Amino acid sequence: MNPTAQGTLAPSRPRTANKALVVLLIGAAALVAGFVLPWIGFAKITLSLLAQALFDALLATSVGFLFLQNGRVSFGQAAFFGLGGYAFGILVARNLAGPELALLLALAIPTLAAFLLGLVVARVTGVAHAMLTLAVGQAFYEVAFRWRELAMGDDGMSFTLPSKFFGFSASRLQDPGVMVVLAWSILVLVLVSLTLFTRSRTGQIAAAIRDNEERARFIGYSTTVPPALVYAIAAFVAAIAGVLQAVYNGYIAPQMFHWSLSGFALIMSIIGGAKFVIGPAVGAVVLFYIKDVAGQFAEYWPAIVGGILVVVTLTMPQGIIGLAVKQWRRRQRR
Amino acid sequence: MTELAIEGVRLSRRFGGFTALDAVDIGVKRGEIRGLIGPNGAGKSTLIDVLSGRAVNWDGSVRLNGEDVSRLTPQERRKRGMARSFQRTNIFPDLTVEQQLRIASWAVEEAEIDEVMSEFGLVALAGVPAGEISYGDQRRLDLALALVGRPSVLLLDEPAAGLTMEESLGLARTLRDLVTRWNVTVLLVEHDMQVVFSICDRISVLHLGRSLSEGTCAEVRANPTVIAAYLGTEA
Ligand SMILES: Nc1ncnc2c1ncn2[C@@H]1O[C@H](COP(=O)(O)OP(=O)(O)OP(=O)(O)O)[C@@H](O)[C@H]1O
Ligand SMILES: [Mg+2]
Repeated sequence: MNPTAQGTLAPSRPRTANKALVVLLIGAAALVAGFVLPWIGFAKITLSLLAQALFDALLATSVGFLFLQNGRVSFGQAAFFGLGGYAFGILVARNLAGPELALLLALAIPTLAAFLLGLVVARVTGVAHAMLTLAVGQAFYEVAFRWRELAMGDDGMSFTLPSKFFGFSASRLQDPGVMVVLAWSILVLVLVSLTLFTRSRTGQIAAAIRDNEERARFIGYSTTVPPALVYAIAAFVAAIAGVLQAVYNGYIAPQMFHWSLSGFALIMSIIGGAKFVIGPAVGAVVLFYIKDVAGQFAEYWPAIVGGILVVVTLTMPQGIIGLAVKQWRRRQRR
Repeated sequence: MTELAIEGVRLSRRFGGFTALDAVDIGVKRGEIRGLIGPNGAGKSTLIDVLSGRAVNWDGSVRLNGEDVSRLTPQERRKRGMARSFQRTNIFPDLTVEQQLRIASWAVEEAEIDEVMSEFGLVALAGVPAGEISYGDQRRLDLALALVGRPSVLLLDEPAAGLTMEESLGLARTLRDLVTRWNVTVLLVEHDMQVVFSICDRISVLHLGRSLSEGTCAEVRANPTVIAAYLGTEA
């Protein structure tokens, strides 16, 4: 056997430990950087749009994570976004729970629902999976749209936040600067956690199941629980975004469940690079920036996004991050 | 305590009206390397599928080291020491060679993987995604995945399919060394008679879903029914 090849085996353990450390350090730096965001002279309206972009980034991260870990394309991730927002909004508006308990339930309900759904839905692949999740998501939308007693049906429902939230003044959460810092910090924590998950045993086993379900069973794994767990984690992230948006706007509406939201999130993750944990979030931020620049052409926004998608899929099939990683590897090899 | 490591009793499997496996009995003694031969469509892969838990809708019973495992899933059988490889390469194309062997090892009590990796010449390919390595290397990886954790029973469905004569014999030698050293019981489906005769202790012959004969290499080679059904057409 050739000696250099033998050598690659030994250091592999410390190297993976180092990589986890690098992920943590980058995350810490990004976390700190977030506190600067409100102070670099953005207009309030820009900050507000940025907050929305960060909610989108979380939803896109959820969609991308499902693809990355389970290899499944979902058109229904907005269901968990909406479920999180609705659970929080309704519980708070009706005084059914304090905001802390409402938050807990608003995150737990979609997560649990996704786990149970995942046990079934994970058996379906490809286009059928996309259609099935679309149908499930739209079913939620229809309920929210038609059931007036639930939350005012298609009008949506406003609610006021209680005065205190975890001991802080809750109204400050509706200040764009505060929300941007909060949403950014959460996004960073989510990205770091998901990255560590993909490197964990469960994450690697889920990846093996995605890659070859049959062989995974024959090397000794049950192939139902790990994918369902991935659905649950993805839904948890979507629900966080839904709760943040509901808190920020003090308003929930059936559009939170709409498939077009899932569709845009999917496009963001393709543009950023769905084979990377941070790809979808990068895609969301890039789209946000382009939208800001496109300003007066906003009415053509769907067409612009379509054009960007075409260009990206043709010139960088692995998305922005995929291209960056490729360039970086090429430079390293030189 | 039974001497048999793997035993199938009156195994039958039907596809619609077609009987692919017709009340086949098979038993392999601990430590033995048993060849399983027969013409195309004889039911060899079907038999491996039934023994390993891949098949659905079958009759009979399967015992692993004396325990009835008929109702157990493939993953439960694997945890009890049964492993298999596949006629068509069945690996994890997106995962690197080392990563998939490591994942395989977690399922069976943290088995070490360095030895299988070096035995099958995979060390230099450790960091390469399995989809990018050569066909011959993929076949070896398929075998390595099954051998991680030193299974007590190994079911191999044409491990050398598609390899050159030289590669096949090399693989056979590696396999023979390893399973003897690790005391693995093997049931080996193989078309290449040179490979079969070079590593098997005994041979079972399947024909049209029925068990035709069983014996040592010499006995099987001399059996007129076997010659008529199978060997005659090959040689
Ligand atoms: N899923 C299936 N549906 C219908 N018939 C099947 C199926 N799988 C196998 N058969 C049939 O069962 C018979 C036995 O197939 P099997 O694959 O076990 O043969 P084999 O001995 O492994 O052949 P080969 O040497 O070609 O691999 C064949 O006639 C085959 O056509
Ligand atoms: Mg076969």
